[in-house]
Amino acid sequence: MMQINRQENDMPTETLKEVGAAVAQQKAMERGVRFLPHGSRLFSVATGWESTMIRQDKGVVSCDTLLTLEEAMQDEDARVIFIPMDALMTDDDIEKVCQRNGIVKTLFKEVTE
Amino acid sequence: MTKKKTKDTAALLKKKITELTADDFAQLEKPLGTSSRPFPMWGPQRIEHGGRSDIETVLSFIASDSNPLMIFSERAYEEVVALAYCDMPVPSMLPIFKDGLERRADPLVRQKDIIEGRQPQNENFNRTQMMIGDPGHGKSFLGALHGRLRAKGSVEIFDCGGKNMNDLLFEMVLDFGAGDALPKAIDKRLKAGALEEISVGLLKALPSKAVTVDADGDVKSIDWTYLKNAGAEEVQAAFETLKKVSTVEGLDNAGGNALGMNSQFGPLIRAYQENREIVLDEYNKSREGSDNALQTVIQFMIGEIRETTVDNPLKNKDNTSGPSSFTFKREDMGAGFFVTFTGNKTEDGLTTRSLNKSVYDRLKPDTLPDPDVIDWQHRICQMMVGLPVSTLYTTFKDEADKDPEAFGEWLMWLRKTKAEVEGSPVPELQETLLTNWQNVVQASEKLALFYDRWAGMTDAEKITYNGNAELIEEVDEEYAKKEGMSFRRIKQHLEEAIPIRSRMEPVDSPVKLDMKSWSKSPKLAEKVEENPSLHFGSRLVEYIERMTYEKSGSVGKNKLYNKLQKAMEEYGLRDISLQEGARSRQKSVEESLNISAFSDRDLGKQAILARKIFCDFVRQMDPEIKAEDDQIVTSKKFLDALQYVSTKETAPTNELFVANRDPESLYAGNPLVAAIIKDAAVYAAADKELDFSLADLVHHDDLIASFALPTVGAKNLSSVWDQNIRPMTRGDAKPVANDDGNADATAPANQNTANNPMDHDEAMYISENRSSHGIATTSVQVLYTDEDGERPVSVHIVRNEQRGKTLVVSEKAPSKLLAAFREAGVIHVDRKDPMAKTKIETALTDLTRGMPATIKDRLTDAFKYRNDEDAEHLRGKNPQLADLMVDPDVDMLYAKFVVKNNKRANGPK
Repeated sequence: MMQINRQENDMPTETLKEVGAAVAQQKAMERGVRFLPHGSRLFSVATGWESTMIRQDKGVVSCDTLLTLEEAMQDEDARVIFIPMDALMTDDDIEKVCQRNGIVKTLFKEVTE
Repeated sequence: MTKKKTKDTAALLKKKITELTADDFAQLEKPLGTSSRPFPMWGPQRIEHGGRSDIETVLSFIASDSNPLMIFSERAYEEVVALAYCDMPVPSMLPIFKDGLERRADPLVRQKDIIEGRQPQNENFNRTQMMIGDPGHGKSFLGALHGRLRAKGSVEIFDCGGKNMNDLLFEMVLDFGAGDALPKAIDKRLKAGALEEISVGLLKALPSKAVTVDADGDVKSIDWTYLKNAGAEEVQAAFETLKKVSTVEGLDNAGGNALGMNSQFGPLIRAYQENREIVLDEYNKSREGSDNALQTVIQFMIGEIRETTVDNPLKNKDNTSGPSSFTFKREDMGAGFFVTFTGNKTEDGLTTRSLNKSVYDRLKPDTLPDPDVIDWQHRICQMMVGLPVSTLYTTFKDEADKDPEAFGEWLMWLRKTKAEVEGSPVPELQETLLTNWQNVVQASEKLALFYDRWAGMTDAEKITYNGNAELIEEVDEEYAKKEGMSFRRIKQHLEEAIPIRSRMEPVDSPVKLDMKSWSKSPKLAEKVEENPSLHFGSRLVEYIERMTYEKSGSVGKNKLYNKLQKAMEEYGLRDISLQEGARSRQKSVEESLNISAFSDRDLGKQAILARKIFCDFVRQMDPEIKAEDDQIVTSKKFLDALQYVSTKETAPTNELFVANRDPESLYAGNPLVAAIIKDAAVYAAADKELDFSLADLVHHDDLIASFALPTVGAKNLSSVWDQNIRPMTRGDAKPVANDDGNADATAPANQNTANNPMDHDEAMYISENRSSHGIATTSVQVLYTDEDGERPVSVHIVRNEQRGKTLVVSEKAPSKLLAAFREAGVIHVDRKDPMAKTKIETALTDLTRGMPATIKDRLTDAFKYRNDEDAEHLRGKNPQLADLMVDPDVDMLYAKFVVKNNKRANGPK
């Protein structure tokens, strides 16, 4: 029988987080997309580890109201936007905000499976 | 992608044009359409046809080092080209895109000429472009694209619908004070459910565009940005309402929750001041007669006058403060300022109005043509893979055909660079589709033709003369508006096709209904994760089929439904099963877009997939193994193994490669081991005893695992077929196989077949995988161990070569292989599964779809060449093929044993 033991995982926590966020993003992308105006895309991310990984990923801006979403849309550095499940907005609201801001953002909206 | 170091260009477009320096130009200039990097362009050209020439509109390209298109952009070059190629407007809009680039560039080029001491080439000071077209055509997208190509910031899209256009200059706004304290406080209470009932009622009375109410009538959100600039009347009303809410909530006393009204510069003046682009969307849906004050500003913006001053009519109105006037001056014009006007065609509803002649004269709008097939295809590709593969392929066809791999790599670079700009990865589905870009081109062309036909059938205006006159009773203007084909509908179809959902089985599929114990939840099989691209084509076509029915047949428009169905058939959306021997070489849309991860031609990528499947399999077989993939076998070793396998010609000698779980050789870097089929019939014919024992047989799971590995599975499925029955029956040729590496070359099978009755035996061809129907079956025996001990068991294989689908019936397969089986097109059935018979029948129905009804009988005959249906328990029962395959007591007549081929070295080195 082959006896190979697990080696110590020396991957830095930061890298693990990045990998986790990338996996979570891909999983969300498999769940389907809503094409938004100007090329922005809205993906659904399952609540739990997937949404946590995306929310905590550096550079991701979390928006729970239309005011904060509008701000994020106009922020050049906020390329990925996370919308928590209890956010005060509907998909149509998101579409409306994207319509008046001609820029491409990737949005992840937290949903229950 | 590595980011090149570039100078900080972020503020250059904020400068006045007259202040730009030679160094600024060097940083801003990003050429598009040079000799080595041509850019697609659409337009009329004189085309020669056998001595005659005609004017035709063609897709060509711009490729000039002296006069390329020039984008003056703050972005890095690679970002500009990735966005320009990926987000490229549809071909029929490319001339308008080109015009937009030139209008933006002209005053800057003029300034550059002045700096370099040349006579300016142009005196064009126009900073506007206007487009008129159907809704959803991409007008505001095009305006914003120009802005995105030039700068990183968001482009303001101002919705003019129902608004007073004088508000573009000076507007009345709600003043929420510093940090939007009042909206934030209300949002916080709304989220916590802590707003007073009376406040909720008041908020519901705000303008409907500003408040979203959910199905229960509760306020879900408030669009403060809209409310703030909703127009003078709405702002006044909202001010009164919010004052009351503020009082009810006790927010009027809190510091910072100030609420007021003010007049300020409108969006157009702000864009001018901030030197940025603005899109005035749906300009001809604005309030009639509301743009009087704008006329001189338009004259200024098109370069007709050098300067204009506009007064603020809101100043001192209702005691509000604000600016009293503003002066536009040409010398203040910033490099980044530009105005795009968009308008809908006047046929689009009552709210769309015809503009004054003076506005048309000044803005000279371009009317967008109706989309052509090439446009539909372009947009379909953009939505499917993120860039217009079809347009790029059509433009650079010769180069792409000459080196498809390099073309594919270039497409992937563009897509990944765009993803980098957007800050998120390329979705796996898009990456798989892009890797198979030829399939995307083929499928999108058929889809485009179909959608174009659909658009023609639902265009009430043109229906009488576009070949659809018989639909005149079913398609009226109302229907055309509601259900007419548009880019937006295609978007919806593609959105629906991406997620993996439950599928309806074909109507002729056998079904098994367990009618007992319905009070308990059903016991589900282990969930098998599916690659999103594996059935993407099926999902898309099924959804389109559903929509064609829902939008026509189900609402009594039967003629339209019949025509749509015919169009679907004509353009090959479905995987149509043609009659025998006539199977089209052209793939259907469904087939083109059902892409297995195994179909990646890159052996390196296949090795990564194969190693993962193999290591999961090894760990499942021996739970004591906790090793990571790299510790079991490295990617490099697996690549070596696949390279070895891919170069071997194994079919003539019935050689196979199976999973290797022998720790010694696996640890030495050999994940695969060689095997060979030894035919008991050959031993019997030579009157020899078998020269191998049970222990020499390959284990069932190792053979089954090989079918789940890319490259290996395909190779093995080409090497399992019968080669001995025909020569042995004929008696004049040497049987093949059983050569384990020591014998001389074997005689080729099937030579000199003239006048042999076997030549007319379809079942024989099926057993040899030589049937013109593309169907084949055979059986082999391998070692299996369970509670009944060690014994040889049969593995039955049925394959449809043309569709790359295989049915394998054997013992229970390790669950870690199930997902990979799907990718490999293998349907594995455990013969002990209570649903086994139904599953086999379903698979056989699918594998033989479109073939003559007799083919199932011939398959059964072929099966009987090697399997004994004359067993005592089957006598008088007329068993079907599925019955025989699941029956463990059906013995092989002369078994084809899969034996470890130790003499052929230990697999790949």
